This record gives sequence, C-alpha cells and structure tokens, in this order.
Amino acid sequence: MRRGWRPILVGGAVVAGTFALAQAQMFEPSVPAVATVSGGDIYRGEIAFERECASCHGTGGAGGGVGPRLQGSGLDAAAVRAAVQQGRGVMPAALVSGEDEADVVAYVVSLSTP
Amino acid sequence: MPLADVSETYADLVTTVFSSTIAAKAWLATAALALALVQVTTAARMWGRLRFLPMRGPIVPRVHRWSGRIAFLCTLPVFFHCVTILGFRTPDTRVAVHSLVGTFFYGVFAAKVLIVRDRSLPGWALPVAGATLASTLGLLWLSSSLWYLTNVRFGF
Repeated sequence: MRRGWRPILVGGAVVAGTFALAQAQMFEPSVPAVATVSGGDIYRGEIAFERECASCHGTGGAGGGVGPRLQGSGLDAAAVRAAVQQGRGVMPAALVSGEDEADVVAYVVSLSTP
Repeated sequence: MPLADVSETYADLVTTVFSSTIAAKAWLATAALALALVQVTTAARMWGRLRFLPMRGPIVPRVHRWSGRIAFLCTLPVFFHCVTILGFRTPDTRVAVHSLVGTFFYGVFAAKVLIVRDRSLPGWALPVAGATLASTLGLLWLSSSLWYLTNVRFGF
C-alpha cells in the first residue's frame, strides 16, 4: 500500500471512532425521573430558557432579576408547566409553547432538583 | 462513580468560569476559530504569501505551531460535551449539519497532522489539508457559536 493513503485511512478511522462515540453518548446526563414527565429535552430546554427566560430568572436559573431563583427550588414538572402556561406575577402566560414548553419544563425541573 | 455523573462534574467545572456549558462551548469554539485564523495567516506567510505582514523569521512557524496546539486544546471540552454527552442528533438542519461536520473534524485534523510529517506527499497536500481543516472548523462555528451568540445570548 502506498504511504500516501495513510492520512486518509487514519482520518477515516478517527471519523468512524468519533461517530461511534457520538452514538454511544456514554456521558449522557442522568435525568431526574420527574423531569422525564414532561417528555422534553434538557439540552434544547436550556437553549430555549436562555433565550426566553434568563433575562428575568438569570442565566441557568440562578436568579438576580425580576424572576425568582429556580436553582434548587424543588419545583416539580406540574408546577413549572402551570407557571409557564398560565403565567405568574409579572411573568406572561405561554412565553414558550409546544415542544419548547416541554423542553423548558424538563430543563427547569433538572435545575430545581435540590 | 457512575458514568452519568461525569457530565455533572464537567458542568460544575465549566460553570465556575462560564454561565453555562453552552456558553462555554460557544466561546471556546470562537477562540479556536480565532486561532485557526492565526494558523491560516502564518501558514500562508510560511508559504511565501501575504508578504505585507511584518512577521518573518523563525517566529512564524513557532506562532503557527503554538496557535495550533492551543486551538486543539480549546476544542477538547467542546468535543467532550458534543460527542460524549449530546451525541449525533438531527432534529433540524442546523444541528444535523453541525453533527455531520463535527464527526469529520478530528478525522480531518488527524489527516492534516500526518500530512505535515510526511515529506513524500505532493506539495499541494498540506495546504489542501490545512484549508479543509480550517473550513471544517469555520462551518462548525457558523452552525453553533454564531447561532448561539446571535440567537440565544451574547455573553459569557
């Protein structure tokens, strides 16, 4: 075999290895059982939260604005979903809806778990 | 320690510096891209192009090597998060393109490193490999960091 093929073969093997690792998702976070109730995706929820909710609840739900701190608040999925759908205080109803709502609920519940 | 706890430890570590793991990825990828631009510039200088730049002498290859090493280090946490925690996803076009191109990134990187060390290859092989690697990183940045910083939040 000509030596010139070596970079392509090694590169191909690395691509295959990366794909296998990505399929395995070996460090996928353990989702609190209560978070799965919403059927949402925590990662997508984090993005939607940063976009729609963080201006009041702080980045990562750490508080520091108009909205209360959500980290470690102990809220369950039903409470978070109700707050999102109906609004609370100055928070308008349905800031996120549909798939985004389920994702945000999953993310907030993951934050809320003390 | 259960494997899943590794992601939590990683998130705790990253959020001591950044506001979230996503923000960390966005900024580390941005740093890697900036260093990749240094790579392209110094490579062009080494190949006799961009003569207007004041850089000359042994400093150019040194800057090239170190910018490459630091850029590689910047990509490692991003790789860890994207590949081992999130995995290959295709919920929409942006994420699908990002997953696909991301799968190829370290393969292109490995090929480029081998080509640098192989003197028997034709002269065009290294610039092509370097340009492919820089373009791959550019595509990854466009489909993730730029999107995050412009659509979600511009901040650390």
